[in-house]
Amino acid sequence: MSGIFNIGVRSLQANQAALQTTGNNIANVNTPGYSRQSVVVQTVQGQYTGGGYIGSGVDISTVQRQHSEFLTRQSALSSSVAASDTQRLAQLKQLEDVFQGGDAGLGSAISDMMNAFSDVANAPTDLSARAVVLTRVDEATARIRTAESRMTDLRRGVGSELASAVASVNSLAARISKVNQEIARTNGSGQAPNDLLDKRDQLIKDLNGYVQTTSVAADDGTVSIFLASSQPLVLGNSVRPVALGNDTFGDPSKAKLTLTQGSTTTVLEEATLGGGKLAGLLRFQNSDLQAAGQLLGRLALAIGTAVNEQHRLGLDLKGAAGGDLIRMGPIPDGRPASSNTGDATVAMAVQTIPSSGASALQASDYQIDFTGSSAGSVTRLSDGLVTEFSTTPIKIDGLDLSITGTAAQGDSFLLKPFSAVAATIATAFASPGALAASSPVAARAGSSNLGTLVLGSLATRSVPAPAAVTLTFTASGTYTRSDTGATTYPYTAGQAIEYNPATSTTSASGWSLTLKGAAVAGDTFVVGSNASVQPNADPRLNAGNALSLMALRDAALFDGSALTDGYAGLMAQVGVMVQGASYAADVSQSIANNVEQDRSSVAGVNLDEEAAKLLQYQQAYQASAKMLQIAQGVFDALLQSLGR
Amino acid sequence: MRLSSANAYDNALQNLYARQSELTGQQEKLTSGKNVNRVSDDPTGAAQAERALTRLSRIASDNRALEVQRSAITLAESTLGDATSVVQRLRELTVSAGNGAYSASDRSSIAKEMTGLREQLFAMANSRDSNGTPLFGGLGSASAPFSDSASGVSFNGVAGQQAGTDVGLPTAMDGQAVWMNVRSGNGSFNLATGTSNTGSLWTNTGQVLNPTALTGHDYSVTFTVAPGVGGATTYSVQDNTTANPALPSNQPYVPGQAITFDGLSLVASGTPANGDAVLVSPSTTTNMFKVIDDAIAAIGNSTATSSQRAQATGLALTQIDTGMNQLQAARSQAGQWLNRADTIQSAQEGRTVQLQAEKSRAEELDMVKGISDFTRIQTGYQAALQSYAQVQKLSLFNFIS
Repeated sequence: MSGIFNIGVRSLQANQAALQTTGNNIANVNTPGYSRQSVVVQTVQGQYTGGGYIGSGVDISTVQRQHSEFLTRQSALSSSVAASDTQRLAQLKQLEDVFQGGDAGLGSAISDMMNAFSDVANAPTDLSARAVVLTRVDEATARIRTAESRMTDLRRGVGSELASAVASVNSLAARISKVNQEIARTNGSGQAPNDLLDKRDQLIKDLNGYVQTTSVAADDGTVSIFLASSQPLVLGNSVRPVALGNDTFGDPSKAKLTLTQGSTTTVLEEATLGGGKLAGLLRFQNSDLQAAGQLLGRLALAIGTAVNEQHRLGLDLKGAAGGDLIRMGPIPDGRPASSNTGDATVAMAVQTIPSSGASALQASDYQIDFTGSSAGSVTRLSDGLVTEFSTTPIKIDGLDLSITGTAAQGDSFLLKPFSAVAATIATAFASPGALAASSPVAARAGSSNLGTLVLGSLATRSVPAPAAVTLTFTASGTYTRSDTGATTYPYTAGQAIEYNPATSTTSASGWSLTLKGAAVAGDTFVVGSNASVQPNADPRLNAGNALSLMALRDAALFDGSALTDGYAGLMAQVGVMVQGASYAADVSQSIANNVEQDRSSVAGVNLDEEAAKLLQYQQAYQASAKMLQIAQGVFDALLQSLGR
Repeated sequence: MRLSSANAYDNALQNLYARQSELTGQQEKLTSGKNVNRVSDDPTGAAQAERALTRLSRIASDNRALEVQRSAITLAESTLGDATSVVQRLRELTVSAGNGAYSASDRSSIAKEMTGLREQLFAMANSRDSNGTPLFGGLGSASAPFSDSASGVSFNGVAGQQAGTDVGLPTAMDGQAVWMNVRSGNGSFNLATGTSNTGSLWTNTGQVLNPTALTGHDYSVTFTVAPGVGGATTYSVQDNTTANPALPSNQPYVPGQAITFDGLSLVASGTPANGDAVLVSPSTTTNMFKVIDDAIAAIGNSTATSSQRAQATGLALTQIDTGMNQLQAARSQAGQWLNRADTIQSAQEGRTVQLQAEKSRAEELDMVKGISDFTRIQTGYQAALQSYAQVQKLSLFNFIS
């Protein structure tokens, strides 16, 4: 008799627990990280009788957490990668907004600036045309500065996001270690602490949202968390906090994640970090933002240098040689590595000899590594191209690197030639009269020329301009030059005649003349400084240098593309970066969604299932209760029969 | 497969978000009319559009420059037209001054009128365009390319002509070629009567018979009159450069008949006295103003004999014609440039249309396709919303009472 009661009570208890667990599942249907639980029941060992074993009912063996270790880890990992890509894309989209096309963009301002020289060339006396040039230069340089300052804002924003992400990582790590501790404490009970395990899995997943981790479980139930595959962040219940630091060159525009272990600080390269928001932010700041900054800096430096070089070849309204039209801050010296032992410093300048370096500039930073005081190698960081050197100064990609002091073997420097220019670029002067629009050289056709020679173009290559030289045609295709006697040179209509005075062989000097039309023997052309060719020249009427400045529109500055096309290239390069990041984010997000679906199909709560289980356990509970009722009835019948 | 209810909700919601943002994106494209709203949507297209924009603004600035250049050349062309009329009037005056019936005072008033016209012509040579740039400065940048002094007009500009470019014209003409390079005499040689001539001898301006036989030497034709009444007049031609006779000596002289030697011929008229001479020298370069100055001097000279005047007006007319031809050649050159300006303009207009098409191909939305895409996305979104609502209504709990 008591057997029936016992079985009934056990059954009631088991089904009540099952109903409670189902209720708990329903309650936690929307709790992140919750793994559905189910009650595992088992039969109680039957009682031996002569008639065999009679069952003794049911017993709860445990409440089981439904989850897959593998899928949980995969889900954390793929969502980590997705978080990294999504974060990087969000930042890149902001960067993309800095480089807009169209009329409001930087490209249109640069093109307007160059076109403004056309008005000066056609109306050299018009002071307002000169003022317009200065306004346009102002506008273009202001837009470069604005772009740079918006990138600085972005960098600052990323900096504060990084700081809060690092704080979150440390707080999550601390919470994981605390949960580890609690789990270890329950370790002896023999039952799994389901909710603590769920909590830790969720914390690990949250941590992976910031930075990808690997975890290793220990026998005591704790889990150790490692960054960059091998650097411990949480070991059992102890935490090594991460912090933000600088690279070996102390570059303030980059941030690095560091782990402090005792007295040693390890710098974690972002390439080894894998996924996570933190990794995405670091990748954006240390490579994407750097690349965009180099592109903008290169644009500014190349245009500024080319315009200044041409402007210095002209004469202003007073007849004085022109200075710089665009003011740019000096190129900062190379940053020494913290491990350097020598006292060398590395200075950089845009190459001027044998030709201007403006057209050879590459949008990249460089690293110089010394193997001796004046030997070693320069690495272009954008593509890893290594150039050995054994003498100084070093010429590379249109830059002159000069070394003062003595470098020790193993010393290295980080060269950032474009880091300062975009923030400092501005118009150098405000007086329209100082615009060097007139040319210091002039050409004069012989007054009795019989051919149809006309002047195509005349450009100065150096100031002061050389004294007059007479070209005398000896036939339709040859001429002699007054400074080289009877030597004849070939003449082809439309091809430039370059004149380099014999004294200067290292850099471009003299002038370049293009004649068109047919020459007849005896025709002459005199070319030289204004004073030697046209003593009556009025600098207000001469716009030769404005024409040369205007011609810079087609100067091949950016890997062979024209000056005015430079911005279109830059914009497209940034656009391609964003497009790539967007594809990556789409792919990794969809992978993360799929894996999460897989994980949740094992661990998640399905309400229909729970409804079915509710019915199932309810029926079992009701049946158990009925059983008690029957037992009661049986007992009552027994008592009644006894009482009679 | 088992589905987690929460995850199913999440997924359904995420798909709804995706469709919603696609719909919003398409709506943005429709309302802005642009296909490229972000560079990353199509980096190549955006760069193409940006380059087309650069080209367009460049064409606009080239066209503005062309208008300035065209107005300068138009002004030069009309100035040359005016100059041609002035020179034409000078020519008429020179012809009328040759009229034997005119008295010295008539000629003096003609000379005065010519002096006035000459001043006008000089001002024209120094005229400037609306920006103050001289029209005839050549390659130079002098503020006044021509200056007048007691020794005559000189050119202060720089000889030579700037070539036009593919998209522009030169803004100044070569003053040297237009005004200064006038060949003296008939363009090949000069004829002058001897300064100590006493007879009434004059010549025409001569002509070239055979260009290859010309020597470019100085010659003198000396007339000899046999003594006595009715003595025969003969002439001898001496090459002064080689000091050899160019013709056998003592050729008979017939007034009005050509004297021919070494590829050139001249016609002497009148009655030479014994020892009178005609000097032949190679042509030199003079200028428009010198030609007029000489004509004015000859016409205004009250002491000159009629044969000297005839010689001088003949020479002046020939040289004025040479100069006028030069002005007309320059004017037609200017006219040709103006034609070129029209050609350039229409070519630039063509390029503008082409670039705008390129720009719009790269960044503008094909409306038909855009609207059809919008409808498709809208239908998809609607279906997603309806199915979401219907699926979410299904739950086993609905059937447990």
